[in-house]
Amino acid sequence: MSPASQAKTLVTFWGTRGSISTPGRTTEKYGGNTPCVGVRYQDTHLIFDAGTGIRNLGLELTEENTPEGCSLHLFLSHTHWDHIQGLPFFQPAYRKDTNLTIYGSPRKERFLASILEGLMDFEYFPVGMSSFSADITIREISRAPIELGGLRVDWQEQVYHPGGSVRYRVSANRKKIIYATDVELNHIFQPAGSSQEHKALAQDYLEFISRADLLIADGQYTDEEYGGKVGWGHTSIELLLDVAAQAQVKQLAVFHHDPQHSDTFLDELWMRNRSRYHAAHKEMDIFWAREGLTLAV
Amino acid sequence: MTKETEKTVWRDKADKESARDNEFGYSTTAELSRKAFRGELPIKQRACLEIIGAGGKSKVIELGQGELTIGRSPGCAIQLRRSIVSRSHAQVTFRNEEYHLEDLGSTNGTYVNGIKVERCILRNNDQIDIGGVKMLFSEQKSLQKL
Repeated sequence: MSPASQAKTLVTFWGTRGSISTPGRTTEKYGGNTPCVGVRYQDTHLIFDAGTGIRNLGLELTEENTPEGCSLHLFLSHTHWDHIQGLPFFQPAYRKDTNLTIYGSPRKERFLASILEGLMDFEYFPVGMSSFSADITIREISRAPIELGGLRVDWQEQVYHPGGSVRYRVSANRKKIIYATDVELNHIFQPAGSSQEHKALAQDYLEFISRADLLIADGQYTDEEYGGKVGWGHTSIELLLDVAAQAQVKQLAVFHHDPQHSDTFLDELWMRNRSRYHAAHKEMDIFWAREGLTLAV
Repeated sequence: MTKETEKTVWRDKADKESARDNEFGYSTTAELSRKAFRGELPIKQRACLEIIGAGGKSKVIELGQGELTIGRSPGCAIQLRRSIVSRSHAQVTFRNEEYHLEDLGSTNGTYVNGIKVERCILRNNDQIDIGGVKMLFSEQKSLQKL
């Protein structure tokens, strides 16, 4: 085997919490930081979302302190607070030897650059984006896939989230990792009237995640909770499991935990349902995404 | 005027009760200066790996604040004599006040709560599986003996 084929893609969860950070004793196991996932393949660093979890990723990258600096690629699912709020605290952005490219949807009324500049407007934060010393490029993604040091990144728009969001697929070494958060799959897979549009969206989703080695996906609510949160742009866990199994996903990380879901709540939910999950989805490993966890894919 | 009367009545009652309590000597509390509350006892962060053996027998290994290697090799702090355990299989490190478990490129992997991990920050009651050997991680903070 060539060294490239032996190389592992490492996926680290730096923030797994949805909506708002939830620090404290009751969330220390699954984590209180908002979304940020690092994907590392050889010298290529991809980052998905810049929630508060990106701060710790920045500290680790700074600690490594590679003499040649680092080249980072940050892919934003969308620009709601919980997915960008950590950016002003991302230490490598203040280092001259960092190259940071930020990617996001082109389908915004305002350019991505102006949205991010707004985040660091003086009214909200004392330091403006011009204080970043890194070489920063902001790119609105185009239809073509992005090739980065042996990795390929494809993307698709997701419509059932207020303001929209983007899902990404990373392919490396014949492995596929999907980052698909902030989408209400219940709208697509359980519509009141199963229209052609819903069928097409469902087909797109299933093809995109098909046979993924790792799917990191929005599972914010239990089925019981979902009834009171229709239209909020997030998926129920049970439906996510069914959809992922239908697409023959190998490993599923249930992500974007609800702020009200404490460690005890998630552990009890797991203990109550794990036998049923395993029985219904024999070929798929399922787990709650957890901050501080690194997997090799 | 009415209110003032009620206030007076209440105060009289309170004064009487206070006087009665004083007769028994337990209503007054000696005052301590605020300085007395500033002294803090040193806290010790303790963490253990409980290795669950055959027949429910277990062995508890206290984790220090350095590195600890788990593997088949006799040089490992926790030696697991099983052919499916790699010579140097995994490592536990104390960093930034947390215990980190890292797989050292083992053949059969390191599992935490059933998930195959490359690295993982350990939390109380995490169940680790290395080559079929199960371990329970626990940590607590306690007062250091003076």
